[in-house]
Amino acid sequence: MAVVAVKTNKMIEKLFGTPLPDPVVMFSFLFPLIYLLAFLVVPVLVMLGTAFEFNGHVSLYWFKSIFGSEYYFNPLHPQGYLVQTITYGGQQVYHFWGWDFGVVLNSIVVSISVMILTTILGTIFAFVMARYEFPGKNIMRVLLFVPLLVTPFVNVVVVKKMFLPNGVINWIFYQHLHLLPKPIWIDGLVGVIVAQTITYYPIVYLNAYASFINIDPSLEEQAENLGSRGFHLFRTVTFPLALPGIAAGATLVGIFSLEDLAAPIVFQGSSIARKLMSFQIYSSFVSGFAIGNPQMAALALVMLTVALIMFLSIRHYVGMRQYAMLSKGGRWKPRVAKPKWWQAVLIYLVVIPMLLITIFPQIGVVLLAFSKRWYGTWPEGFTLQYIKALITQPDVYRVIRNSLMYSTVAIFIIIFLSLTASYAAERFKRSKLAPVLDSLATIPIAVPGIVIAMSYFFFFSTVPPFKGTILDPTNLLGFFPGAALILAYSIRRLPFAARSIAAGIKQVHVSLEEAALNLGAGRWKALTSILIPLILLNLLGGAMLSFVYCMSETSVGITLGSINSSWYPITAKMKELITSAVGSANLAAALGVFLMIVQITAIVIANVITKQRYSFIGLT
Amino acid sequence: MEMVEVRLENIVKTFNETVALKGINLHIKHQELFTLLGPSGCGKSTTLRIIAGLDYPDSGSIYFGNDEVTFLPSSERGAVLVFQNYALWPHMTVYENIAYGLKLRKLPKDEIERRVRWVLELVRLRGFEGRYPTQLSGGQQQRVAIARALVVEPRVLLLDEPLSNLDAKLRLEMRSEIRRIQRELGITVIYVTHDQEEAMAISDRIAVMNVGTIEQIGTPLELYYRPKTEFVASFLGSGYIGEVDFEEGRGYLCGIELRRNLKGRFLVLVRPENVLIRPGKSYEVVSYELLPGRMRLLIDVNGCLLLSERPLSGVLRWGRIPSRVEVEILDFSVIRRLRG
Repeated sequence: MAVVAVKTNKMIEKLFGTPLPDPVVMFSFLFPLIYLLAFLVVPVLVMLGTAFEFNGHVSLYWFKSIFGSEYYFNPLHPQGYLVQTITYGGQQVYHFWGWDFGVVLNSIVVSISVMILTTILGTIFAFVMARYEFPGKNIMRVLLFVPLLVTPFVNVVVVKKMFLPNGVINWIFYQHLHLLPKPIWIDGLVGVIVAQTITYYPIVYLNAYASFINIDPSLEEQAENLGSRGFHLFRTVTFPLALPGIAAGATLVGIFSLEDLAAPIVFQGSSIARKLMSFQIYSSFVSGFAIGNPQMAALALVMLTVALIMFLSIRHYVGMRQYAMLSKGGRWKPRVAKPKWWQAVLIYLVVIPMLLITIFPQIGVVLLAFSKRWYGTWPEGFTLQYIKALITQPDVYRVIRNSLMYSTVAIFIIIFLSLTASYAAERFKRSKLAPVLDSLATIPIAVPGIVIAMSYFFFFSTVPPFKGTILDPTNLLGFFPGAALILAYSIRRLPFAARSIAAGIKQVHVSLEEAALNLGAGRWKALTSILIPLILLNLLGGAMLSFVYCMSETSVGITLGSINSSWYPITAKMKELITSAVGSANLAAALGVFLMIVQITAIVIANVITKQRYSFIGLT
Repeated sequence: MEMVEVRLENIVKTFNETVALKGINLHIKHQELFTLLGPSGCGKSTTLRIIAGLDYPDSGSIYFGNDEVTFLPSSERGAVLVFQNYALWPHMTVYENIAYGLKLRKLPKDEIERRVRWVLELVRLRGFEGRYPTQLSGGQQQRVAIARALVVEPRVLLLDEPLSNLDAKLRLEMRSEIRRIQRELGITVIYVTHDQEEAMAISDRIAVMNVGTIEQIGTPLELYYRPKTEFVASFLGSGYIGEVDFEEGRGYLCGIELRRNLKGRFLVLVRPENVLIRPGKSYEVVSYELLPGRMRLLIDVNGCLLLSERPLSGVLRWGRIPSRVEVEILDFSVIRRLRG
C-alpha cells in the first residue's frame, strides 16, 4: 500500500512538481496545456500533415513543387531591380522596386532587411534617448509614443502616399530642400520594407531603450576608468551589454515582418509585392483555393519553419547571454550627458527629422479621417462625415461592437490562461511539464497568424467534434466567426499577457503563499487571498495589453473573420474598405483613429492605475 | 495542550540529483526548544520545511506524537513556520495578517478579536493592529510574524533563522523574547540558525548539521565541551584541535603537559578559556583582541598557535598586556581516539 502511494507520489511530483495530487495545481497545468494543444498544436499539425501527403502516400512532393518552381524559389536569376530611373507623369523619377528571388526568398529578404533597418533606427533613437540630455528631449519622448499606435492597413496607405512622386517626402526633400536630384517613388518590395520598418522599429526601440538604461553604470565607469572612451567604449562595453535586448527586439520584428499582411495588401498593385509567403497563403485562402490545398500547407510550413528558427535562435542566444543584464543592487542614476556640438547637430538635423517621418503615418491617418480626399501631396477638404459614420453607419458601428465583444471575451480567456500557466510554470518548476507549458505559452509569438487562420479553417471543418459546429467555417448557416476569432485571439495574444503576469508572480516571494498554506489555507484560498490580490496590477496591465492587441489583430480577422460581413471585426472592415473599389480609405482611417483612441485610453488607464510604466508594441 | 513530540525517521531528500538530506533521524521532545544548527547549505532549512509540510521527503517518515504526517498537506499539520523573511502579506494590515489563520478556522468574530488582542499583548504590539507591514520596523515585523504563527495555537512552532534580518542589539532582545514566549506557552519549538552563539543561548538541545547529515545532538554544554567530531568542535566556539599521545596518564600538546588517565593517540580540543596564562618568558604573544569583558590572545607555543581567553579584569591586574607569557592548560576535551 505504502509503496504504491510513494510511487504515485513520485509520478505526480514529476508531472506537477508536488507529490500531493492537488486539484488547483493539476488544473493550472492541465487547463492551459490542453487548451494550447487543442487550439494551437493539433490544428497546426493536422493541417501541416497534408503537406506531406501526395496520392495517399507520405511524400515531399509539395515541397519539391515549391522549391522546384521559379515562382517560389529563384535564388540565382533574380528578376526586377532595386532602383531604376523611369518616366512618370512626364517626369524622370527614381523608382524603387526590388529584386524578385521567388516567394520564399522574397519573404526572407524582406524580413532580414526590415530587421536590419529597424535595428539601426531603433538603436539610434534608444541610445539618444537613454544617454543624452538636450532641449526638446521631452517632446521627443512624447513623439516616440506615436509610432507605437497601430492602425492596420491605413498607416501603410499613408506610407505609400508619402513615397509617391508627388508625396510628402519629395515635397520636402526634392521640391523644397533640393536634397534629391530627382523625385523618388518607393514601390514594390522596397515599399513593403519601408512600410514595415516604419511600423515595427518601435519594437526594437523599446527593447534597446530598456537595455541601455538597465546597464549597470559601474560597468561602463570601470571601462572608462581603465581608459576606454567614446566609440570604443560603446563598441566594446555598452553595445555588447545591450545586444541581447536589441537582438530580441529585432527577432520579433523579423517574425512580424514575415507574417505581415497589411503592407503586401496595400502594395499589391505592384505585382512583386504579392510575391511574399504571407500574401500567397492569404490570397489563396480568400479565393477559397487554399482550403485543403497541400501546396499552401507546405508553404505555410516553410513560413512557420523560418519563424521558428528565428524564434528559437534568439531564445537560445538571449538565454545564454542573460547574465549580462543581471543588475546588482538597487536602481541607479542613469548616465546621461549633454551631447557634443557635432552630436547635437546629428540629433537635430538627422535623428529628429527621421522621427518626424516615422510618425507621419499616424498623423496622416488622422488627416485622412478628417478630409474629403487625398490625391496629391496633402489631403484636402475638412469633413466630419467619416468620424460621424463610426456611430451612425450600421456596417461601421457593427464592426466596432463586434471587435469590442470579441476582444472583451478574449481577454478573460487570456488572463485565465496566463494566470494558470504562469502560476504552474513559475511555482512548480520541478515539474517536467513546467518547461513544456512555458514554451507552449510563448511559442504563439512565432506562429504566423495566417498559419493559425488556415489551420483553424482546415481543422474545424474536417475534424470531429468541431465539424458542423459554430466553429466550422464551412457550416454556412451555423458558423459564428466570433468564436473562431476569440480562440485565435486568445492563442495569439497569450504570450504577451503571460509575460506580464509571470513577471508579477516572480516578484511575489513564494514564502507569502507558503505562509498561507502553512497556516491552514488550501491552494485555492492561498491563490485567491494572497497571490491574486498581490498581482492584481499585473493582471490589469496584462488585460489592457491583450485588449489593445486583440482589437488590432489582423491576420485571422481578415480571413476567418471576413467570411460573414455581419460578424466582421474592425480589421476585416478596414481591409475591405481599402481594397474594394467602392470603399473609402477615409472611412478606414476613421476606424484607425478609433483604434488609436482605444490604445491611448488603455495605456493611460494601465499607467495611471498600476503606476507602472506600460507600453505596448505595434502588433497587428 | 496535547503532548507533541516530533520524530523524523531516515529522512532523505534530493534536489535535482544533489542529496540535500542523507537520512535524518531526530526526536524532539514535548515543550523543548530544539535547534538545528549548521552552515548554510547543510540542510537545516530543508529539514524545517519538510517538518512544516512545504517540502516532502523522498523517503523516510515524520511523526507528530503517534500520527504519521509525512504526506499530510502543510495546511493540516499544525506545524507553523515563521519564515526567515517573515512573509507578511503586504496587502493586509497587522490585524488581518494575524487573523488570517483564525478566519480559516471559521472562528466567531469576537473570538478572533479576543485572540488577536491576546497575541498582540504577548508580543507587545498593542496598538499596531491597523498598520501595514511596510510601516513597521524589522523587529516589529518579526513579532507580527511570530504572533501570526502563535495565534493559531500550533502543535509545533518552527522558526527559520528568525533573527538573521535584525541588527545586533535587537537580535539579543528578540532572542530572550522568543525564549520567554516559549516558556510562557510551553510549546515545542524547532529553531533553525547558523549562529552558534544564538543556538547556545536559546536552546534546550541542539542538532549540529553538516552536508545533509546530523553530526551530533546534545545540550549546548555537551556540544561545547564534549564534541564528538572535529566539525562540531570547530563550528561551536573556537579552540585548538591537536593530536596527543598519552602514556602513563600524561601527554603533551605542543610541549604543554596534559594529564588524564588515557593510553594511546587522541584528538583533543582545548577551549580558549582553558588556556591559562601569566606574564613570563616562555612563549610569545602573537596578537590580541579586545572583546566585551574579555581579552583573546594568540600565543605561539612551540609553533602551535594557541588561543587564550581571559577575563579583562585579570589582564588589567597585570598592568599591561604582556609580550611573553607562561601557559598552562586547565582542561581539554577528547574528540576521539586515533589509530596507531
